[in-house]
Amino acid sequence: MKDPLPFDHRADPALGKALREALDPGDAGAFTARVMALAGQVRVPSWDAVLARWARTGVAAAVVVSLAAGYLVGRATAGPPAAVRPTVSDVLIAPPAHPGEVEVVLASVIGNN
Amino acid sequence: MADLPSQPAQEVARIPQQDEAELVARAVAGERAAFGVLVERYAGVARRVARAVLGNPEDADDAAQDAMLSALVKLGQYDARRPFGPWLLRIVANAATDRRRRRSVRRVEPLDVGLTAGGPRPDTTAQRRALSERLRQALAQLPERRRMAVVLFDVEGYSHAEIAPILGIPEGTVRSEVFHARRRLRVLLADWKEGG
Repeated sequence: MKDPLPFDHRADPALGKALREALDPGDAGAFTARVMALAGQVRVPSWDAVLARWARTGVAAAVVVSLAAGYLVGRATAGPPAAVRPTVSDVLIAPPAHPGEVEVVLASVIGNN
Repeated sequence: MADLPSQPAQEVARIPQQDEAELVARAVAGERAAFGVLVERYAGVARRVARAVLGNPEDADDAAQDAMLSALVKLGQYDARRPFGPWLLRIVANAATDRRRRRSVRRVEPLDVGLTAGGPRPDTTAQRRALSERLRQALAQLPERRRMAVVLFDVEGYSHAEIAPILGIPEGTVRSEVFHARRRLRVLLADWKEGG
């Protein structure tokens, strides 16, 4: 084992060999067989399934976006709310919107007389 | 297939990327034999890395197995432009770390003074076994990340740059972790160094 240097980018073969022996798991075949037996029970998402999942997400996003866009466009193009048509009594009872105009009209009528 | 030995260390890290991308594509398409080849290739390194984290070989095998199956489920997410090994080993490292966190905390046995302060040279099988035990104990005293870094670097032959994404740390930190791990192991194995 060599003295390690702080920036040594080479593996230490002696240390590596000793560590490898220390961590040797043994019986690779049994492990592989065990994993493969369990892998047979795992459902692997295929490309189709992945794409289908993305497609579902895409469709949902498109629906949300189109609804939002429709709402915004509708709000922008719609005019002001329709005015409620006043009844005759409303007109008679309500004070004049522009009292000054009435006085001018009356004054001109009186003046002409 | 099941009887084949796992790929030797150092060689696993050098498997052509194109070959592995093709194997992954075939595995995703449902060809279990292709996945089997990947398992064979990486079983050794996955189990060693898990054992470096967990210590206990049974726990390590469970973690490595979980990681392999998790990788199978996530194969569709693998970016074929990148090397497969680091992608898989990141899953292994996470699986081992998660298992270590989940399991009941085991007391770390203090190092045997007789083992750390000298002893016979590992000329015989028994002595080599003692050396391995000493190394495992020495590893157990290192921080988890440091353990994985030195195993990936010195045992498995990955570069600092390749280890960085596996451990999710900067390359400079990997360099530092490897350096400190080696220094610690060197101190604990000083007697073996003289003999070896």
